[in-house]
Amino acid sequence: MSSETGETGTAFNLFDAEERVLASATELEHRLADADPGIRQGVAALTEAYSRSVREQRRLVKVSDRLQHQLATLNQELGRRRAEAEEALDRLKEAQETLVQAEKLASLGALVGGVAHEINTPVGIALSCASHLADATSDLQRLFAADDIGIDDFERFLATAADTSRLIMANCERAADLIGSFKQVAVDRTSSERRRFDLAGSIAETLTSLTPRLRQEGHKVEIVCPPGIDVDGYPGALSQILVNLAMNSVTHGYDPGQAGIVRITAALTEDDMVRLVYSDDGKGIPEEHRNRIFDPFFTTRRGSGGTGLGLHIVYNLATGPLQGSLSLDNLPAQAGTRFTLIFPRQIARAP
Amino acid sequence: MDNLKIPATERSPDVDFDFAAGRLSLRGESYPEDASTVFGPIFAVLEPFLDNAENRDIRFDFELIYFNSSSAKALMNMFQMMENAAGRGVRLEVNWYFAPDDETMKEFGEDFAEDLKSVTFNLVATTPS
Ligand SMILES: Nc1ncnc2c1ncn2[C@@H]1O[C@H](COP(=O)(O)OP(=O)(O)OP(=O)(O)O)[C@@H](O)[C@H]1O
Ligand SMILES: [Mg+2]
Repeated sequence: MSSETGETGTAFNLFDAEERVLASATELEHRLADADPGIRQGVAALTEAYSRSVREQRRLVKVSDRLQHQLATLNQELGRRRAEAEEALDRLKEAQETLVQAEKLASLGALVGGVAHEINTPVGIALSCASHLADATSDLQRLFAADDIGIDDFERFLATAADTSRLIMANCERAADLIGSFKQVAVDRTSSERRRFDLAGSIAETLTSLTPRLRQEGHKVEIVCPPGIDVDGYPGALSQILVNLAMNSVTHGYDPGQAGIVRITAALTEDDMVRLVYSDDGKGIPEEHRNRIFDPFFTTRRGSGGTGLGLHIVYNLATGPLQGSLSLDNLPAQAGTRFTLIFPRQIARAP
Repeated sequence: MDNLKIPATERSPDVDFDFAAGRLSLRGESYPEDASTVFGPIFAVLEPFLDNAENRDIRFDFELIYFNSSSAKALMNMFQMMENAAGRGVRLEVNWYFAPDDETMKEFGEDFAEDLKSVTFNLVATTPS
């Protein structure tokens, strides 16, 4: 039996005991030199068999060590990969969060654009009325200075003043109302504040903020919602859902120049749930896309500005803050798109 | 005799031999590429210690999570050495710790115990933390 290569003296040897047994077996064979050949052969055979068995043990230990070493290396590699994958997932979630935030800001931007457009009209009217009144006033002043003022001049001025001031007041009131409702929508949209709100009022305010965008293409909006449904929940979330659905109808539902009707029907169910059905009469969503539209990043307009987050966010808002459900209804092809949103009128205490 | 203290690495166990107190322990994992790097230093001190420990009380704790085949062989040699010492009158107690859900480690303990007559061998399930 050869001794372990590189090991000298009392150095550690795994098979020390076995080697010593083999050494004494060899010595035993020497001492049996004069014994019966049968016994000698038997002992020699035993020694040989034992030596082979020890060799085999060494080999097995070596092979097994190597395998275990590889296994450990693989396990480490696996752990490292898993950590990497988890980290990548975290980063992805972060990126998604950022995109969601960006989407919120973008829809707020659209809102601000809508506000500007909508307020322009009453402010414009009020301004032209005011300038008309100013013209009439200076005309009258001139006549008065020339001491040439007649009774019918004065009457005409009074009529103009009454008309224009009424128009100015009405339009300023309209502008103030608009500002008030936009302010509410903006606050609701940017904050996730919970409060009680009137369902019909909230739907109307949200859709009003979208009117310029809808009117541009000639779309009509129909809202059917009984007054006095008092909801306790998150108006901002509801508003964002409606804005997203409506913007989708405008961008995906119709070809340019094609006008349609967007309908929102809301009512209270027997078990105190709000059931809101949103529909458009556009192209509809093809069968093969229907179970993917709520997936993040699914969009058919990747090249032209779609992120595919809109309906994902809508779904999360419906099932998260609103504690409800949202489904795409199965309509026959070409019959438009319809979503049903169901949520408790009064959300549970801890959201 | 100097104590032996070797901190654990990724592939070798923590070694803590307090010879004065008669308390020795091996804890952790053992799958070195070369068994002699881990067990060489251990045998180098353990053998002379046991040779001169007649009538002493020695306690050896094993709390191993994983070991490879050559480490298993080295452990077997170690137990053989302890059994011989116990035969000479060293009072040796071994605690073999295993996690309650680790059947393999428990079976290893039972296997080692089979060859021990004079060493007191205790199988101890660790409490999950
Ligand atoms: N009213 C609709 N009519 C037809 N298709 C729609 C309608 N609403 C959604 N879709 C389809 O569902 C897809 C996913 O909508 P989603 O709002 O999630 O993303 P997007 O509108 O494409 O992008 P983003 O909203 O992020 O800008 C759209 O790309 C479109 O194909
Ligand atoms: Mg969208």
